[in-house]
Amino acid sequence: MNKQSPVQLQSADSPVLRALAASGLPTEEFSQMTGPLGATPKETIYAQGTLKLQHFKPLADSVYRVPVLIVTSLVNQPYILDLVPGQSMVEHLLRQGFDVYMIEWGRPRREHATLKLEDYVLDRLPRCVERVLEHAGESELSIIGYCVGGLLSVLYAALHPETPLKNLVCMATPVNGDGLESLKAWMAPDFDEEALIEQYGNVPAEWVQNTLRALRPFGKLAGAMSLLNQIDNAEVVRSNLRMGRWETDNVPFPGGVFRQMVNDFLRANKLVRDEWVLGGKRVSLSNIRMSLLHLLAQDDHITPYASSRDLVPMAGSRDKQELIIKGGHVGLVAGRGAQTRMWPALEAWLAPRSV
Amino acid sequence: MSTELDWNKLSPLAIWRDWLVKSETQWSESLTALLKDPQASSLVKRQVDEMRMAHRQFSEVAQASLAAANLPSRNDFEALDERLGRLEDGLAHVTAQLSLLREAMVSTGAIPPAAKPARNRKPTVAKKV
Repeated sequence: MNKQSPVQLQSADSPVLRALAASGLPTEEFSQMTGPLGATPKETIYAQGTLKLQHFKPLADSVYRVPVLIVTSLVNQPYILDLVPGQSMVEHLLRQGFDVYMIEWGRPRREHATLKLEDYVLDRLPRCVERVLEHAGESELSIIGYCVGGLLSVLYAALHPETPLKNLVCMATPVNGDGLESLKAWMAPDFDEEALIEQYGNVPAEWVQNTLRALRPFGKLAGAMSLLNQIDNAEVVRSNLRMGRWETDNVPFPGGVFRQMVNDFLRANKLVRDEWVLGGKRVSLSNIRMSLLHLLAQDDHITPYASSRDLVPMAGSRDKQELIIKGGHVGLVAGRGAQTRMWPALEAWLAPRSV
Repeated sequence: MSTELDWNKLSPLAIWRDWLVKSETQWSESLTALLKDPQASSLVKRQVDEMRMAHRQFSEVAQASLAAANLPSRNDFEALDERLGRLEDGLAHVTAQLSLLREAMVSTGAIPPAAKPARNRKPTVAKKV
């Protein structure tokens, strides 16, 4: 647990301080109000380029045999899954007795603009899987993938039928490009993705952020209004500030991956058509044969149901399940509802399959 | 205090904000539906191209002006960010190598293994979901 006491602002004349005090909130700086994010104790056990494979310090006396590897998104910071104690999916899994590892992809630099999906699903991810098994001393593992991280996990599972993957849990994972109607319309064939890549190398984080915001144009305004109506609840304000800080902390999209996502995933919709070839191998969802759980958010504007509903029916797994949980894309994993709905559902599904 | 709470509930601003939050989904859906129209999409693409070009032109002008004033530009900060990123990656690589070294030393008996929780946990929920 973080024992840091919040630092008090010195200037008593600050209008921010006065407003906070008038609202009955502690007069802390906003950065202190959010607390240190992603602070669950961990150790880097593998690194490759910007990638870091983290192993979280277990928080239970005994752990399940099968370790869990969390695959995060390429365009968001991984700490959304480990915000602060009490609002952390990672911490919850650790307390329930899972041995948890996490891939942090890092911020791509200009030199990484040529990275493609093949680099992630045929090289980096398999190496991380190998390292997790070596570190845990086990022969099988579970993967939990969120959003684009879920898509990477799906591609990995489909391309490695002989994988040591025992369980695959996807959270808000898009597989059908046609279901991402807005993105598909905005990135229709006359959208010049090459000019963007040529100018920036990687798609800048601001572009990623603005695009995601445009999917729900008044969402930010509504969030601010809702917060004002709950200003007397300090914990709600803190939670909101944490999420807000994460939402504005995007990561650039590697140029090569962006090109593939626009051309192959969105425009040609190759994944559900069984036409996607990566590294000379055809990606077939029917090759996914391990136990599969897909956790979806009911009001997900980033990964709408039309884009995610095909995963479970198309997967070749015999043991497969789809669970739709109340909430939005981010609330699914980190909101107050996640704690009462999604995390227990995940644990109930994964625990019996991790022995 | 209950009086404050009642007043807050009766506040016209709070009621208006509440209405705004409740109707936000419809507003957002209406606008995104409009943006899916091919003509609106062309407009979006045009805006993106214009912003990209404007950014490039502004960067060139700003960089020249800042260099003349002996001040760092955004490009300089990005270059610094990249160097720091490389340093961070280097440190992570060293940490990972140390982790491997420690495991190797444990396997040869040079150092005692760290205490680890037993990997024999059983679920309390017996039935699969």
